[in-house]
Amino acid sequence: MAVVVPAAGRFALPELGRRCCATVVHVAGDDALSRRLAASGFWSGAVVERLGAAPFGDPLLFRLHGYRIALRREEAARVVVEERCA
Amino acid sequence: MTGANAGGGTAVALRRVALVGRANAGKTSLLMHLTGSLQRPVNFPGTSVERTESSVRCGDVQLQIGDLPGIASLTPHSRDEQVTVQSLRGAGGLAPELLCVVLDASRLPVELRLLHELRSLRLPMVVALTKVDVAAAEGYPVDVERLQQALGLPLVSVNGASGAGIDDLRCRLADLDLAAAVAEVAAPGHVPGPIVRTLARSRTDRIDAFLLHPVLGPLVLLLVLGGMFQLVFTVASPFMAWIEGAQEVVGDHVGSLVAASAVRSFLVDGLVNGVGSSLVFVPQIALLVAFVTCVEASGYMARAVVLLDRVLRKVGLSGKSFVPLTGSFACAIPGIVASRILDDERDRLATIAVAPLMSCSARLPVYVVLLAAFFPPQQAGLLLFLLYGLGVVAAAVVAMLLRRTVLRGGGSFLTMELPVYQRPRLGLIGAHTWLAVRGFLRTAGTVIVVATVVVWALGYFPRPAAIHERFEAARAAAPAGADGDAARERLDAEEAAAYLEQSLLADAGRALQPVFAPAGFDWRLTVGVLAAFPARELVIPTLGTLYSLGSVEASSDAADTRLLESLRSARATDGKPTMNGLVALAMMAFFALCSQCAGTLAAIRRETHSWRWPVFTFTYMTTLAWLAAVAIYQFGSLLGYGR
Repeated sequence: MAVVVPAAGRFALPELGRRCCATVVHVAGDDALSRRLAASGFWSGAVVERLGAAPFGDPLLFRLHGYRIALRREEAARVVVEERCA
Repeated sequence: MTGANAGGGTAVALRRVALVGRANAGKTSLLMHLTGSLQRPVNFPGTSVERTESSVRCGDVQLQIGDLPGIASLTPHSRDEQVTVQSLRGAGGLAPELLCVVLDASRLPVELRLLHELRSLRLPMVVALTKVDVAAAEGYPVDVERLQQALGLPLVSVNGASGAGIDDLRCRLADLDLAAAVAEVAAPGHVPGPIVRTLARSRTDRIDAFLLHPVLGPLVLLLVLGGMFQLVFTVASPFMAWIEGAQEVVGDHVGSLVAASAVRSFLVDGLVNGVGSSLVFVPQIALLVAFVTCVEASGYMARAVVLLDRVLRKVGLSGKSFVPLTGSFACAIPGIVASRILDDERDRLATIAVAPLMSCSARLPVYVVLLAAFFPPQQAGLLLFLLYGLGVVAAAVVAMLLRRTVLRGGGSFLTMELPVYQRPRLGLIGAHTWLAVRGFLRTAGTVIVVATVVVWALGYFPRPAAIHERFEAARAAAPAGADGDAARERLDAEEAAAYLEQSLLADAGRALQPVFAPAGFDWRLTVGVLAAFPARELVIPTLGTLYSLGSVEASSDAADTRLLESLRSARATDGKPTMNGLVALAMMAFFALCSQCAGTLAAIRRETHSWRWPVFTFTYMTTLAWLAAVAIYQFGSLLGYGR
């Protein structure tokens, strides 16, 4: 499921592999969802770790600023990240 | 110490404090510790959003502390958040004089972002730092001393579980020099350096690996739901039987004090019966709320929401709808109130509209009586399951239709925080349960009592003297001794039935009977259905009276057996049985789908601020119920069931 990503490339958050970390580059769009994501801690420079997914692969689970958050795939797709660790 | 006017001789300064913070930061727990009391729910002006308020005296200062719904930022996304923001900005003339900002140490960077935004309000602030222990357990230890220096604000570390630090916080809130504090707020403060993770895998990570496991996760969820039903249906029943017994005793006692008259009937069959009918829900509501609070406080509720989000989205709802819908299996009223957690208005309205389709505890006695009368036990269990399933399927279909028509669109989102697992505190569970029970008795309970009295009046009047004279003569003619007593008792019951048969309620039943004829209901069942509209539990006593049983209590066993017998043996004037398995099935399907609860409609009105939704819910549910009953009866008759 984890997509092979070119090093230092930017990609959408759902493509982040399990137990991998990434740095948030930006959150796409300017609507209620993007503001909500920003208020939840998805701002540029924040480090996100993919914890896994609910059964059937949706929603996705992340760790951010020390707490856990569940996002639906399409919500997570708004977040553009940069790979941080292998 | 809890009253706002508890001051003694000395002048007491009142200080309005608002507890602000993100959801799950531990505000409610903190408020309970701060004031040492249960809170008083207060409605925000012009909204249904409740805040809890409590006050406590500290030295010469009376702190009046209000718990505001959690916010993520000063830009509100839900109704609750909007209320908090308006209240912080002084809407309704009740701007707080002092903010107690509750920060959860286990997710500090996000919390500090909110704190930074709150500084723009230019209100004096005291920071209460919670869950420092949780942060350490999660591998993010917080240096409280350094954090306070960086923020430049008064900061107290408190423990919501043990109450440590609470006294210190209370004194800080009372003693703070408000004017000087505003200057502290205006200073920007430093943002402390990045936090460093010191732990690879915390306890919560390990529990999640099990509870969110692709196979085990859904299994555990089923077990939790099963446990909830078990609790609500079996543990509550002795308490409910006790309340019913007490109602009987009180009714008898009142009955013995007042001579037979309209007044006695009003007191016993109207008032005492009405109060009993609403009190009987208390054990189930209390157990359900206690269970749900426990699940929520432990952190599991968020996992259940995540597990079910995908399934519920298929029918146009959200994972968060799980909370109100589950609650509605006990009683739709707390379920409808719980729908406030849905941040998308369309999701929330769809959830509220389908919540009453979940078979609530008041339907159960109806199912039990009819199943026991017409079906062998093996079939009864399966049918009971199917009746619950009928409600769930109907809810899924209605929700899907609503979300594709009147409630189309809407950008619902999940963005659900998964809190750290914690042992729920008993005090918190007790407080939530008590608030829910009190709320139920105040709103729904009152409606049920009034509705019961109205149904009583319709079934009592008119009282033609001719009937009384006829039965009085028959009673006089009955022989003395034991035989005569039995005969007189039978005559009393027949007299009650005779009265009911010519009452306004029966007139209405007969007038509406053609409507229910396609479903196989005779006029008596129609009266039962009509009497059940204010509150469905009224159907059993009404049918009891109609079938000449005298008074039948909702589930006292002896009377039930008699009701079963007479339901089975009731004959129409042409000698054909009026009830059979097919009619019973149609009747149960009707009860499963019909909106027969004034309390629920009152709750929907309150939560949606309009009559449109209660009217819509009532109309669609009643139509659906009628269609289902007619379909079952007609289809069953075609197949040759029930002759």
